[in-house]
Amino acid sequence: MKRFLNEPLLHFLLIGAGLFLVYSLISKPGADAPGSIVVTSGQVERLATTFTKTWQRPPTEAEMKGLIDEWVREEIATREAIALGLDRDDSVIRRRLRQKLEFVAADLAAQTEPTDADLNAYLQAHPEKFREELRYTFEQIYLDPTKHGANLTKDATALLAKLKQSGEKVDPKTLGDPFLLENQFSDASGSDIGTQFGQSFATKFAQLTSGEWQGAIESGYGLHLIFIRERTPGKLPSLADVRAIVRREWSDARRVDAKIRFYDELLKRYTVTIEPPKPTMPPKTVAMKGAETP
Amino acid sequence: MKTTLKQRLVIGSLAVMGFVPLIVMTIKNAQGDSALSKLKVADPPVGSQDSPPPPKEKIDYSPYPRQTFPNRVYFGDTHLHTAYSADAGMIGNTLGPEEAYRFARGEKVISSKGLPAQLGRPLDFLVVSDHAENLGLAPALAEGNPELLKTEWGKMQYDLVKQGNPASKGKAFDNWGAGLMALKDPLKEQTGLAADMWKREIAAAEKYNEPGRFTAFIAFEWTSGPLGANLHRNIIFRDGGDKPGQIIPISTYDTEDPEKLWQWMADYETKTGGRALAIPHGGNLSNGLMFDDVTLTSKKPFDRDYADRRMRWEPLYEVTQMKGDAETHPMLSTRDEFANFERWDRGSFGPQPKTPDMLPKEYARETLKRGLAYEAKLGVNPFKFGLIGGTDSHTSLATAEENNFFGKVVGVEPSANPLRFNEVISGRPGPDKAKMYARETSASGLAAVWSRGNTREALWDAMARKEVYATTGTRLVVRVFSGYDFTAKDLERSDFAEYCYQSGVPMGGDLKDAPAGKAPSFLIRAMRDADGANLDRIQIVKGWLDASGKTQEQVYDVSWSGNRKPGKDGKLPAVGNTVNVKEATYSNSIGAPYLTAYWKDPAFDPKLRAFYYVRVLEIPTPRWTTYDAKVFGVKLPTDVPSSIQDRAYTSPIWYTPGK
Repeated sequence: MKRFLNEPLLHFLLIGAGLFLVYSLISKPGADAPGSIVVTSGQVERLATTFTKTWQRPPTEAEMKGLIDEWVREEIATREAIALGLDRDDSVIRRRLRQKLEFVAADLAAQTEPTDADLNAYLQAHPEKFREELRYTFEQIYLDPTKHGANLTKDATALLAKLKQSGEKVDPKTLGDPFLLENQFSDASGSDIGTQFGQSFATKFAQLTSGEWQGAIESGYGLHLIFIRERTPGKLPSLADVRAIVRREWSDARRVDAKIRFYDELLKRYTVTIEPPKPTMPPKTVAMKGAETP
Repeated sequence: MKTTLKQRLVIGSLAVMGFVPLIVMTIKNAQGDSALSKLKVADPPVGSQDSPPPPKEKIDYSPYPRQTFPNRVYFGDTHLHTAYSADAGMIGNTLGPEEAYRFARGEKVISSKGLPAQLGRPLDFLVVSDHAENLGLAPALAEGNPELLKTEWGKMQYDLVKQGNPASKGKAFDNWGAGLMALKDPLKEQTGLAADMWKREIAAAEKYNEPGRFTAFIAFEWTSGPLGANLHRNIIFRDGGDKPGQIIPISTYDTEDPEKLWQWMADYETKTGGRALAIPHGGNLSNGLMFDDVTLTSKKPFDRDYADRRMRWEPLYEVTQMKGDAETHPMLSTRDEFANFERWDRGSFGPQPKTPDMLPKEYARETLKRGLAYEAKLGVNPFKFGLIGGTDSHTSLATAEENNFFGKVVGVEPSANPLRFNEVISGRPGPDKAKMYARETSASGLAAVWSRGNTREALWDAMARKEVYATTGTRLVVRVFSGYDFTAKDLERSDFAEYCYQSGVPMGGDLKDAPAGKAPSFLIRAMRDADGANLDRIQIVKGWLDASGKTQEQVYDVSWSGNRKPGKDGKLPAVGNTVNVKEATYSNSIGAPYLTAYWKDPAFDPKLRAFYYVRVLEIPTPRWTTYDAKVFGVKLPTDVPSSIQDRAYTSPIWYTPGK
């Protein structure tokens, strides 16, 4: 029911019906009768404004009369043409009408303001979009392959043994080779590590445990010994912390979805019959059902 | 099909009551009310490099909260166009700024041609710099925007686009182009449309800007092109939406003169209290006008005031992008064996052919040299700019990688279609020999920014102080410092960055008045793209003004991979080439992942003005056309190289003698 209340189509029909109701109430009786045309003061004003914008001056009285006459002719022509069904097989008009309808639907979809419950549901259904990553505070010691040559692995193993002996007391800055990346990282996420050390390094890094020197693990630059001091577990933030972002993702998903849902809903009210090419066969009736939306 | 009378009436009443515009307004308000301010800022605001360093202490754990110097490079694109640029949206780009941000953040996006597109690694920031000239024209046409349809021109364009065939759409695009060339804004009176479209651009940036995670700058491009000469500038705001929301972007319909642009920027800052900077680009397509020796309108020689203003507003130059490299030209740097790189030098966007006398006024290195001579004469250097890179992609997709390149415009998105290589990109009005083709487009470039945090403020401040560099698409990392007391041993320091900021200046900085007997020395550390190709060498490019007042340049190899020895002519042998053209592969069996250099200027004269910037070269890798040939099974074009050496250019460090 909740979801139903959020349907753009429902809004569309309700607003349309509402306007229709208001329109019939404020219109003079008989205004809708086939033979009557009312040029409202608002319409007159719009005609004058458009003229002024184009010509940089207000229309004269004669010009104003001409504008109104022209509008009335247009109105009559439109009604007669529709009555004759001239709009029905004109592809330009059909395309334009369809576009107008779709824009109204899309606008309504975008306009719908989600409730916290909607957003919370979206947050829970798409945790991967909003999850705060696991963060590491760690130290690294770099070994430069050009400096160690063939002894690289051996030197790394020896250094690791030494580090394990001296435990936490050692200052990583005094060991290993100079490098462009820092020795200490605080609160770096897995993707931060991937961006700076390379993706394959980040994958290997994720396997390490905390509280002791480990490695060496390889990056595109050489070997690294790692001491993870602290892991801040990742978590799904509460809606209050990420409301703006959840709202953005919710609306984007909705925008993509809107057109599909719109036609799915409308389609339920139609029976579409596709006639086979050979007239000898009896027409086959297919109830088209729109794609289920998540 | 059955439609009920009720349905018709509902739709009819909606249209009659002007319902559509009402909805548009409501949405605008909803988006303007951004809740982003609730977000926590992950990083502390960046400190100025000039602020005093933290007091020296004994070794302690986690000193970071007290450090203020930039500790990381953030990569992004400072130059991207979406469907809101008329020259993108009118020729097939259907992706707006939101899709551009989503793509830059690493999400999969379906391109305008229907191809799934995704970056291997997300960018840290993005500048959507849509052309101010009739901003949002294509989306306005697509939605039948009532503001647009108020004008005769808007209606005519609308009808052409609605006809939907290539000829009518082409005609609509040509109509727009003709107005631009004639500097006649077809929508001059229609400021409502411009304001609405600008608000949408701002709303999109506000939506996707997440301090600490991804920065979306508010920006636009001012597209000045007198007779087709490229004088374009991207104007980038430091501010959140409230300040740029008070103005409408200036366009070339308003003025073609950069001095008027600077005045407009000054007015913006006065009016709003905000900050803005401009990044010029495409000097190689300016036919000598980008770095001319006279002012544009009055054709007067520069004075001190002009130089001051130019540097106040234009601290950076975009030295590489898809329309070619703008560092230097082989005719200007005759002894630089790497000068002939991704060259675009056959003309401009107009009919006027290129002549050699234009070149010195088009390329960055020569202009930096000329700037020294101006400074000697005027007391201020009008060309003291840092170097940065951007893509200038018109596909909404910021791609600069050789193996993931979506091309300059939607029409040349990846496919086996010969247009992918053969479409004419610039020089259309000129003779055939002035045309530049899609295959010559460079899969470039990126902006690299040294900062302590990923926020609009921190990144913008780094741009303003020129602590940035350009790459031709790779994410190689380079850091350079210069000072008078550095020694080779300092390269090994464990507190390298902290010490260097205390005792020297970073890229973009200034050295003044050398102490007696001292020469500037340089400490450089460079590492390859974490997931990319090894490095060939580090070079220092020095430019100076000699005692006779003539400009000079010299390129020094200062560090390189392997055991190569320079020959008798001083030339370092090439690193080699592992590219397998047929298979579009290379191997990191040559080159080095990490290079460092200590270099002291051997020819330093404390009385002479000079600048120094660093160029880092990668080993050769397959060019995008080579990847294309392999993937799509098409013939490799013969007039472009099959492999290239991607590279980085740092902002210079300048030396100025004392009085």
